[in-house]
Amino acid sequence: MRRILPILIVAIGLASLAVNVLTLPRPFSEDPCAPPGVTTGCIETRLGLDLQGGLRGEYQAVGTADRPVNRENLADVRTIIENRINQYGVAEPIVQTQGSDRIVVEIPGVANPQDVRDLIGSTGLLQFVPIPAGTPGIGTGVRIPPELPELFRGDDLEVARPGFDPQGRRAVEFELTAAGAQAFATYTSQNVGNQFAIVLDGEVISAPVIQNPITGGRGIITGSFTSAEVTNLVTVLRFGALPLEIEEVSFSQISATLGLDFLRQSVLAGGIGIILVLIFMIIHYRLPGLIACLALIFYAMVVFAIFRLVPVTLTLAGVAAFVLSVGMAVDANILIFERTKEELRSGKTLFTAIEAGFNRAWNSIFDSNVSSIITAAILFYFGSAVIRGFALVLIIGVLMSMFTAITLSRELLRWVVRQRWARRAWLFGVNDDEFTMATPRTRTREVNAGV
Amino acid sequence: MFDIIGKRRWFYVFSALIMIPGLIFLLMTPFSGGQVGLQFSIDFTGGTVWEVHFRDQTPTPAQVRQVLAEQELDGSVALTTSGDRQYVLIRTEQIGLADFPEPTASPAASPGGSPAASPGSSPAASPAVSPDQSPATSPGASPSVSPSPAGASPEPSPGSGSGVVLPTEGRLAELAEALQARFGPIDEVRQEANIGPIISAELAQQALVLIVLGSIGILGWMTFRFRDARMGAVAIVALLHDVIVVLGIFAILGTLMGLQIDALFVTAMLTVIGFSVHDTIVVFDRVRENRVRHAGEPFAAIVNHSLLQTLGRSLNTSITTVLVLLALLLFGSDATRAFIFAMVIGIISGTYSSIFNASALLVTWHEWSEKRRQREFASVHSR
Repeated sequence: MRRILPILIVAIGLASLAVNVLTLPRPFSEDPCAPPGVTTGCIETRLGLDLQGGLRGEYQAVGTADRPVNRENLADVRTIIENRINQYGVAEPIVQTQGSDRIVVEIPGVANPQDVRDLIGSTGLLQFVPIPAGTPGIGTGVRIPPELPELFRGDDLEVARPGFDPQGRRAVEFELTAAGAQAFATYTSQNVGNQFAIVLDGEVISAPVIQNPITGGRGIITGSFTSAEVTNLVTVLRFGALPLEIEEVSFSQISATLGLDFLRQSVLAGGIGIILVLIFMIIHYRLPGLIACLALIFYAMVVFAIFRLVPVTLTLAGVAAFVLSVGMAVDANILIFERTKEELRSGKTLFTAIEAGFNRAWNSIFDSNVSSIITAAILFYFGSAVIRGFALVLIIGVLMSMFTAITLSRELLRWVVRQRWARRAWLFGVNDDEFTMATPRTRTREVNAGV
Repeated sequence: MFDIIGKRRWFYVFSALIMIPGLIFLLMTPFSGGQVGLQFSIDFTGGTVWEVHFRDQTPTPAQVRQVLAEQELDGSVALTTSGDRQYVLIRTEQIGLADFPEPTASPAASPGGSPAASPGSSPAASPAVSPDQSPATSPGASPSVSPSPAGASPEPSPGSGSGVVLPTEGRLAELAEALQARFGPIDEVRQEANIGPIISAELAQQALVLIVLGSIGILGWMTFRFRDARMGAVAIVALLHDVIVVLGIFAILGTLMGLQIDALFVTAMLTVIGFSVHDTIVVFDRVRENRVRHAGEPFAAIVNHSLLQTLGRSLNTSITTVLVLLALLLFGSDATRAFIFAMVIGIISGTYSSIFNASALLVTWHEWSEKRRQREFASVHSR
């Protein structure tokens, strides 16, 4: 074990360094590692929208008595919205479900909020509404009178695809589910010559005239369509049918320049903070302090590599959590050094004092860090997106700080005290007469130092 | 040797003096209509924040408020930011969320008998629907010419032209128009945030749930590790002390300077809780160790000694953490300033409470239950 540990530490350090500075393909990713900006399989630092700019909308699905919100139809809503957003052609949009009834849409970079909302908002409810004979003025773009009952909804539509009528003109073919087919058969048999309307979110998309009874559940919509019009109609038929209604519950946008400002400020402030800590540690703890600094740099490097690997999306709160976890990593070292000093003063030799310092401090480090992990886990499990990002960073940070304290700090200190030059009292911040180099002098000091 | 435990009454008084003014301000929050006490950001209340830059001039907050009042948005806040490029930040009730057209769900209200008055009922120029070519039912797949359907074709152009994108629908668009009419064109939107009532209600609820659950988790862990529910309970009291101190100071500064608490503040609060317990655990850990080593000593002496032994660590850890936070406070962004400030107060308070309150309370509790036990013992024997 003693032999393996140093090798392991060096290996982890080198691997982290590679992950941090090189452009490497992400393991288990099907995407190729392409230049940034495109969806990539590269290992890269993921920045939250608040640090790179972009927009974020949160949408609540609203169920009805016969159509409750459940996992399946929420997933359908997500897919439909994602398809719509993808048509918009922006880089790396993220559409995901959140909780039991939310959809979150995130688009990095610059986008027109109105366009995005039009896309999301238009993916509403698709209805097939019979138009009673003699109702005037039903055509494309007209709002359907709300008192007209629907015949069936978009999810009774099984297939919609571009096709051709017997004359070879563009048309849209569709197939209905069994239930839809039956309703349509009954209705069309009695209403040849009347119109029925395809209605999206209350607006008529198309209002064809029924030419013949459609009994087989397969029909065709004809007209002098252009190719684009056919595609549009098919898209609406296929993706237009959101199984649930959605409501916008929050919407925010941050400009890329503001995001960049936030990023710069956080990095600068975090950097200054960490340097201050390093200086403090060296002045106050001298040689062990210097070792703690090396351990901290190693720690920061490994944690950052983990962030890139997982990947953890760094937000403003996440950067703060990272800096905070540096504080906790320092704490582990401080606990050990204070304890070591105490053990030195109680008359132990340098070697035994260091071992005792680590062993005794471990209890405190473990207990306090586990309590931090418990709170962070609760935050992660129950918190909203911002809080979850913060909690994840904290959990990784605390775990890694425990790891570096008991591996790297300890190995370095063990190595250092074997060196002749390092065996000086002032390097450890104690008096000469408190400093016992080789063998324990007496046991009396320990008794005197007691309570 | 310095006797911290012996002077514990003074520290209780000091804590009370710190907490009471804050508590008064806190408790006035619900009764003062938002004038006194905690000032909540739109994350909690719902609302819209909109930060823009005008190309030609920077209007004063008063001028902007006048436009807001004309838009019937009284009670809104307008500020100009500092820095070489001045932005106008507007905070109002929620006016920016999209109002998606409500799908006309089918209440099947009307019977079919609509007045069939119009003569030219169904215009010939419309698309037609017919069975798909295959079935034998009716072969005459009739032609019917029509204008194009597909009204709602969703293919917007990204960015729509060059430069700034302003809202085009809803009340925020009206406000944008009114502002531009008065102060000239807006050439940059720095940020826009709209929080609806569902989200804001959720945040407040979530904050409470998280703090309660976090406390239960800590209590459970400490009881498990120290085999002593008392230590857990005392740690929770110290934690409540820190929460009240931070909330109190924010209530006072909110009243005086308009300092707001937002979603990040909840995160800060939770971090403070974690840190406070961290400190308390380190002291208690030493108490546990010393109790075994120095069995027979008075409990107060053991606790006091443990405190002194861990004092160096407690102070140094706080100093390093506060150093980092001060750097973030001074050089960090405006967006996180309140968040960092809350953590600075909380961590100082956490260190204080773990040294001067948690351990002291442990001794007070211990002596109180000792006394009670002695009294019971005495009463049993006197019979």
